[in-house]
Amino acid sequence: MSEISCHPKAGALKTSDPFVNGLWKQNPVFVQVLGMCPTLAITNSVRNAFAMGLATTFVLFCSNGLISMVRNIVPKQVRIATYIAIIATSVTVVDYLVKAISIDVYKALGAYIPLIVANCIILERAEAFAGKKPVVPAMLDGFGMGLGFAFALTCLGAVREVLGAGTFLGISLFGPHFEPWVLFLLPPGGFISLAIWLLSFTLWRERAEKRKQASVVVAEAVGVEVH
Amino acid sequence: MSNSLKMIRMLGAVSLLCGLLIVVTHVNTLARIRHNQEVIMKESVAQLLPGIQKQVIYGVENNGELTIKAGIESEGKRLIAGYDGGGKLLGVVIEGSERGYADVITAMYAYSPEQKTVTGFSVIEMRETPGLGDRINKDAKFLENFKALDASHPIKTVKHGTKKEPWEIDAISGATISSRAVGRLLDKSVQETVPVIEKNLERIQRGN
Repeated sequence: MSEISCHPKAGALKTSDPFVNGLWKQNPVFVQVLGMCPTLAITNSVRNAFAMGLATTFVLFCSNGLISMVRNIVPKQVRIATYIAIIATSVTVVDYLVKAISIDVYKALGAYIPLIVANCIILERAEAFAGKKPVVPAMLDGFGMGLGFAFALTCLGAVREVLGAGTFLGISLFGPHFEPWVLFLLPPGGFISLAIWLLSFTLWRERAEKRKQASVVVAEAVGVEVH
Repeated sequence: MSNSLKMIRMLGAVSLLCGLLIVVTHVNTLARIRHNQEVIMKESVAQLLPGIQKQVIYGVENNGELTIKAGIESEGKRLIAGYDGGGKLLGVVIEGSERGYADVITAMYAYSPEQKTVTGFSVIEMRETPGLGDRINKDAKFLENFKALDASHPIKTVKHGTKKEPWEIDAISGATISSRAVGRLLDKSVQETVPVIEKNLERIQRGN
């Protein structure tokens, strides 16, 4: 999977490509199905999900940038140790920042923030992209992947909070007579919501792919050159 | 330069940079983090002593004497005595910490000098495993242990489902290390602090 994302077509790489790639085409949750621990554990409310996504974005952005900066001077044999040190530092910085910015978010995410260091998306992007590319694309890739992760977590959080608590960002949606499906706030609800999103996303992608193929066939039939 | 030396030099430089980044962040966020921790503590005190109207914070000196502190932000070992509207002592909130599974667990508990029991427990900070160890602050059955935990006898954590005595804590199944840490935290803190409370009980009851 990382093969696709780490070797964009030579010559066709636009500055924004790594960003769009992470955000959408190679979305870490919906396409690569990585980082499942926080995806299932933190998404019982929109706010927690979004905060976790932002924390991961910050770590990805910083670690990708720093790793790209040192990529040419780090001997190959110690590159993973260097990556881990940089990632762990970024996570520690995020830990301090979240603790300082919002105590409520820290109480909700506190135990999970140190676990960002073990999130496979981070090391995967370091090894597959940041360790091989210049600083700007590496940072864009980290930013895109992070936002893609935050987007996916927020999607899951929205479904789980709306159905499981009848609220969105803490605001009641259905009035006092709504009986919440508590199941969606519990771990099985995480799996069910993830399955619904993965199915919808895959179906949507397949349809888009088919439409694209159909337009290529039509274009070739009428003799238009397709890029 | 030999390859090994190059590797050592590089790892050293990266570690130095990482260390520097962490120190800079720590120094710049310290004041704000302390403030936030105090907010949590205030909330915990209100939760541990329901009906609290007035509180007096005592600092514990090395010789076991108490001194009144101006605010909750005070440094060092402290006791927070809570009183109802009529000035009656509801209980004393004590802070304690102990090594848990992942890191140090810092918690507060309410102690009733009248009944010589622990009447409430709340975790201030921990890094226990999500879903397992972190249940020490969420598991309703585990928290039941601290409604009237006898503190006149050494407190002990026992295996899940084997609690017989009022001074025993029924551990959480699957989070034994964290549960034992809570038991040690309470036992150590009670043994250290209760003699100080007993010695100064009249003063604490008067609230001066």
